[in-house]
Amino acid sequence: MQPLLEAKAIGKTYPGGTVANNGVNLSVRAGEVHAVVGENGAGKSTLMKILFGIEQPDRGELLLDGKPVRFANPRQAIDAGIGMVFQHFSLVPSLSVYENVVLGSEPRAGIRFDRKRAIEEVKALSERFRLSVDPLPAVNSIPVGQQQRVEILKALYRDARILILDEPTAVLAPQEVEELFAAIRSLVAQGRTVIFIAHKLPEVLEISNSITVMRAGKTVGQVNTRDVTEQSLATMMVGSEVTLRVDRAPTARDRCVLDATAVSVSKDNGKPACTAVDLKVNSGEIVGLVGVEGNGQAEFMEAISGVRAVASGSIRIGGTDIGAMSVLQRRHEGLACIPQDRLAEGLAPGASLAENMVATRLDDKRYVRNGILDLKAIRNNAKGLIDKYSIRAAGPHAAAGTLSGGNMQKVVVARELSERPEVLLVSQPTRGVDLGATQFIWRSITDARDAGAAVLLSSADLSELLALSDRLVVFYHGEIVAMLDNSDAVTPELLGAYMLGLKRQSHNEMKVAV
Amino acid sequence: MSAPATDKWKTVRAETARLLTAVVIALLVALAVIMLTSKTPVDTFRTLLTGPLTSKRTLGLWVDEAAKLTVTGLAFSLVFQARQFAMGVQGQVYVGGLAATLVALSPVGTTVLGMPLAVLAAMAAGAVYGFIPGYAKAKLGANEIVSSLMLNYIAVYFITFVVRVPLSAGPGLMQSADFPPASMFAVLVPKTRIDLGLVLALVAIALVWFALYRTSWGLKLRLVGHNARFAEYAGIKATFIMVSAMTASGALGGLLGSMYVQGQTFGRLTYGFEGGLAFEGILIAIVAKSRPLAVPIVAICYGYLLQGAEIMGIRTDVPTEVIAVVRALIILLVASSFKLGLGSMLKKLVSGGAKTGEANAAEAGR
Repeated sequence: MQPLLEAKAIGKTYPGGTVANNGVNLSVRAGEVHAVVGENGAGKSTLMKILFGIEQPDRGELLLDGKPVRFANPRQAIDAGIGMVFQHFSLVPSLSVYENVVLGSEPRAGIRFDRKRAIEEVKALSERFRLSVDPLPAVNSIPVGQQQRVEILKALYRDARILILDEPTAVLAPQEVEELFAAIRSLVAQGRTVIFIAHKLPEVLEISNSITVMRAGKTVGQVNTRDVTEQSLATMMVGSEVTLRVDRAPTARDRCVLDATAVSVSKDNGKPACTAVDLKVNSGEIVGLVGVEGNGQAEFMEAISGVRAVASGSIRIGGTDIGAMSVLQRRHEGLACIPQDRLAEGLAPGASLAENMVATRLDDKRYVRNGILDLKAIRNNAKGLIDKYSIRAAGPHAAAGTLSGGNMQKVVVARELSERPEVLLVSQPTRGVDLGATQFIWRSITDARDAGAAVLLSSADLSELLALSDRLVVFYHGEIVAMLDNSDAVTPELLGAYMLGLKRQSHNEMKVAV
Repeated sequence: MSAPATDKWKTVRAETARLLTAVVIALLVALAVIMLTSKTPVDTFRTLLTGPLTSKRTLGLWVDEAAKLTVTGLAFSLVFQARQFAMGVQGQVYVGGLAATLVALSPVGTTVLGMPLAVLAAMAAGAVYGFIPGYAKAKLGANEIVSSLMLNYIAVYFITFVVRVPLSAGPGLMQSADFPPASMFAVLVPKTRIDLGLVLALVAIALVWFALYRTSWGLKLRLVGHNARFAEYAGIKATFIMVSAMTASGALGGLLGSMYVQGQTFGRLTYGFEGGLAFEGILIAIVAKSRPLAVPIVAICYGYLLQGAEIMGIRTDVPTEVIAVVRALIILLVASSFKLGLGSMLKKLVSGGAKTGEANAAEAGR
């Protein structure tokens, strides 16, 4: 059968000499889910931009229905039946769902915008493809998962035969991922074709029919999903055998370092985020915070790190009450923090790597004396960390914002771990990070644990929590509903039941795990 | 470390080329306006372009203007780097001028201490005036743009009142008594307005550069400017940095005030002495990308244009205000980070033409 969409020997070199694509082949059959996997910087995004007409290839050709095509801009790609959903949505937040969907191709009655028909059409479309979303509310009032559906509907409204989804699961909770997959299956059942870009291999294996693997700007190969395993796919991506497990040394875990007692925290809008949470973390253990996003874990972590006020309760590090301390004082007590959003909280993208790496230590005699910066020491510190954490960057002077996602995260990890913290708070350490960097970051976190740090890990990725944690704590509606020792008996399904509030441990059961 | 140095020069070269293109475009538009309005367009345009070079006196005016533009540019750069949009330099200039006047006209004014004390008083007054909107923002959440602009009005009208009533040199005179020579800035080049203010401006450049790039306060300030939320996570007190940046900027505004009243231009406090120059600092800071070492270069170039326009307004039939067109265009072009390599545009035109040609040929072949 002739492929629906084909790319042959695509080459693309950006001005400045970055070779993003060099001999990329892609062959997508009609009615399949075709996954494109590869590490950050493998060239997936560039390939998708070429398919959608945002970038033009320097070499090679695109074939649609066997005929050569060339898209000078997205408009032409859309007209040819290609739709794209970006990782960062392009929606108008204040407009309603249906307005966003029809924007630019509004149904008209004369010169008037026919709202009634627009609403009807959007409703029909969402029912047909199992993308249930209410057409009337404003986009900024609905959750991220639904906003994504609006994006997909937007493409479908323009009659996209081929739908490109750029890392669609990165922003979703596990339940939302399931719903997205259901929608994708219904799209394919109705003859649409989906190109799915992803990092997370289990998801790729679950949803796709065939997989194209990219590495360093080239296609490594195309395989049928049923012929591969997670391990063989990972090997193709990275180029050498990788372990998806982390070895952990046995540690004593006998000293309670972080002790939160009856901690209550409020959200920005004043409503309670978590109420009377008791949690102890010992030295040399990783405690995983499990929970669907928005159940109070994030606020709890922020309260410990000191950027959010505690409404009531006490937080102690090694017996010292840190509740009233500033962020800097807490850091002096041995607290380090890898925040959940590296661009918003972990880095100053416009500042250099060297500056980012000392930002938490501007009262340290090694880097600042009498208020004057020791530029040489600051540069050497950065050089050392760049080497030690094999950060790919032009040098200490490079702006942090110019690095790839994985390397940016390494900068944050390097800064936070270099001072051997007593307590380490980690949120979403590998979100949007490629496999190689994920391995490295996991290793770094477990090394900190082995060295005796008390680690509190919050993640939306259950496999990450299961791979790293010694103990697991499940948050539901701002309360701890389960505490489990991590073992083979703990499965994602079991955690899921607690996360959704279907199950709840009694006090005695929790005590056993503590 | 040669790599970062070449990188740096590349950026500097690219930015300079961009700026020059902006200036050329703006001047071409100015030329068009002059052609439409002037009876002698060639002479008028020549006056605009060469006016400042015609005499020693006009050269002096240019240098003096550049020094003042530098200080206001530095004041704005400092707050812009911390991403605070305080617009209070004008008000700080006036309260600074008043503070300098009070010292100069006091008994101290006739002593050796008169000049330096007046400068320090001006800087202190400016700092206080810069601190107010910062503190209001930190404690009350007041928007610094609004509060600083309003404070400007208060300062301007208060000084108008002061020179009209309590400090008026005589009935109907909107100015104070002349300062004793001991309180005035020494002349550097005789028969021009070039005075000690130029030296103070140079010192200010060095100080601001040092503070921003060599002290931990400066690094904190820049980190807050890049990402205030990250700064909080890192343990930097963002509100303290914010308020201190606005206070330090206020001190520069105050210094500019003293440069006016103690300089050769006035030597007294007068009505509206600042003439709207303080706000030109916004343009200087934007064009210089808030870099203290780029500020004087931009100030020299822009000062030249302003002086040229001034002289054009006096000597020809086109009013000074035409320069507003040039100013607006430069801001527009620089702020929109336009890209206009003429070379690449030509290339695009040629290759685009060729491509359409090819496409047409292909079409025809089908």
